[in-house]
Amino acid sequence: MSDPTENGRDGSGRFVKRAAESVHNLHTPSEDGIHPLSQILFGWTHRKGIGNIIFWTLLVLALAVISVDFFHARHEYLNFANYAGFYGVWGFVCFAFAVIMGWPLGHMLRRDENYYGDAGGPPEGVDPEAPMADDLPAPHHTSEGDA
Amino acid sequence: MPSMLAGLNPGWVLIIAGIASLFITMRQARQVVTIAAPLLALALLVTAPQNADLVTTQVLGLKMVLYRVDALNFIFSLAFLIAAVLNGIYALHSDDRIQDGAALFYAGAAVAATLAGDLMTLFVFWELTAISSVFLILRAQTKAAYYAAMRYLGVQVLSGVLLLNGLAYVLKSRGDLSLEAFTDLSDPGVLFIFIAFGIKAAFPLLHNWLQDAYPKATVVGSVVLSVYTTKLAVYALARMFPGQEHLVWIGATMTVFPVFFAVIENDLRRVLSYSINNQVGFMVCGVGIGTPLAINGVAAHAFADIFFKGLLMMSMGAVLYRTGTVKASQLGGLHRSMPWTTLFCIIGAMAISAFPLFSAFVTKSMIISEVATAGYAVIFLMLMFASAGVLEHSGIKIPYYAFFGHDSGLRVKEAPFNMLLAMGIAAFLCIFLGLPALFPGFGHEWLYGLLPYREEAMGYSHHHLFSFDHIITQFQLLIFAIFAFVLLKRFHVYPPEKRGVILDSDWSYRKVGYSLVTWAGTVWGKAGPAMTAAFFRLTSRAYNWIEAAFSPRGELARGGVLNGAMTIWTAALLGIVLLLSFMAVG
Repeated sequence: MSDPTENGRDGSGRFVKRAAESVHNLHTPSEDGIHPLSQILFGWTHRKGIGNIIFWTLLVLALAVISVDFFHARHEYLNFANYAGFYGVWGFVCFAFAVIMGWPLGHMLRRDENYYGDAGGPPEGVDPEAPMADDLPAPHHTSEGDA
Repeated sequence: MPSMLAGLNPGWVLIIAGIASLFITMRQARQVVTIAAPLLALALLVTAPQNADLVTTQVLGLKMVLYRVDALNFIFSLAFLIAAVLNGIYALHSDDRIQDGAALFYAGAAVAATLAGDLMTLFVFWELTAISSVFLILRAQTKAAYYAAMRYLGVQVLSGVLLLNGLAYVLKSRGDLSLEAFTDLSDPGVLFIFIAFGIKAAFPLLHNWLQDAYPKATVVGSVVLSVYTTKLAVYALARMFPGQEHLVWIGATMTVFPVFFAVIENDLRRVLSYSINNQVGFMVCGVGIGTPLAINGVAAHAFADIFFKGLLMMSMGAVLYRTGTVKASQLGGLHRSMPWTTLFCIIGAMAISAFPLFSAFVTKSMIISEVATAGYAVIFLMLMFASAGVLEHSGIKIPYYAFFGHDSGLRVKEAPFNMLLAMGIAAFLCIFLGLPALFPGFGHEWLYGLLPYREEAMGYSHHHLFSFDHIITQFQLLIFAIFAFVLLKRFHVYPPEKRGVILDSDWSYRKVGYSLVTWAGTVWGKAGPAMTAAFFRLTSRAYNWIEAAFSPRGELARGGVLNGAMTIWTAALLGIVLLLSFMAVG
């Protein structure tokens, strides 16, 4: 007679129960509110030094994709797009320009939340258990950076 | 399919279902209607014969084609109806008859407008989209939503009035209201129609109704609103103004300017509203180019946009639903408690950023390719800027500030299952549409097979879409842009997210215009009584003077001033006048 618990199965449905427990555990947040799936999908983002790893990985990737232009000629309709590194440089410059312009534009265009006199809470129909926007603490970060 | 059903306009099915939903009090029954009606409408659309006037009528001597399907309106209607199914699923957690009814009615009006075979029918449903959609904003039941809804309605009705005005001109000059494309913008009627379409497409300076109203709608409302109005306008422009060169510049401007606003905006649903502007800009630009491949690009990009923008709106809706806010300054770290929503949001972000193997990569590139082929160097650079910009605000900012960044400490439940299901289906479409054709009709080829100019689309697919050059240049643009983000964050050059409102062109009427009207009201409040008193004094004096002169007891009756000499002079004067009159007549 074979082991009744072979492969986790037995006649009383213990496998099903264990599988159901696994699925339940996968979708049940821990007591501190952390969803188990978040560890599987995004746990790597909490690793120490992940900021450095991302930075250097991206730098290497960027150099790799742009180096292709130095030994592979393209045939674009617009001549300037044929220059080596055009897309990379243009993408970098445009992104940086849009972001850096955020400083003067923010100073120029940002006003108090109740500037138009209609500031208020969230719309009707949000989760009754939701921490309401106005009950939230004051902005907890005014400068950004990787955790 | 029975002939009776063949003539049933899918848009009307949704409109009837929407009206019925308003009266169905049993929640489960209404939920069945909100999903079954779009599915039925989809079946009707897919089986409808194309290029034939399916329903026509005569009103006051004007022939109206109420239902006509062709290659261009088919793909827009198909996207609208699939989105209606997803919206129905997304709304299942809520119990709001008015919202359910308005969402269905609005979707139906947009579909019916798209399937209209003449401009008058288009106008009727154009107006119905405006009237029905406003309830999705009003249902938020906040002060801000109420005022935004009133402004939204005003702008939308203005668009309708301009359209009707234009139709009157066009009917007089052209003699019919067929959907034959316009070529001459100098005709006043055509110009009116162009501006009416431009308002709904949110052309620059006509755009702010969108960023004003959409972020203030309900959780479900924003998702529904993001689908229809602007894409209906894109369809109308593609139908009536293909190849209109002004649209190339207008569209390119639309792609660029929202980038700057989106960078500094704190409300993430408002960031997505700017993103709608940005993506519609690509479509408007493609309409302006007007070649078959560019029109393919417009239709394909509209189709893809409905799902990736809808997905991003859904994910922000889920965040708003669970936390009560979508302000970037108050969020962060939500991947810990909402991992599924995070995953779907990242898929939407990669799709809108046009990563290879995601939907926008196979759609937007047709437009950009045609811009380059036509030799528009400046426009090409603007579109490349906008491509980096969309990566910034929709590709990185939305997921980063909501789900990563600094941990806000908010620990909430994952989004309700119905929301996850709707997001999951949208995420599937974002990926599926971007896949290479592993076998004929798979992945992007399914979408390309639905486009108005299929041969051109397939030619593009075979020769350029997944070429080494296209993939490597796209990676160069995206990887360097992402590297810029990481670099700016590393050196703390990235502007912080701060609470506050960002002024846009609506400031001109919400602040300056409102202040002027208030000031005029105050001035009138003070000057009015004084002016009224002065008027009464003046009329009273005039009355006294007239009475003193002409009444039975007056001066004239007593003959006081009419002495002999005066009588002679008066008679002489009258005689001269008479003489001059005769001479003039003679």
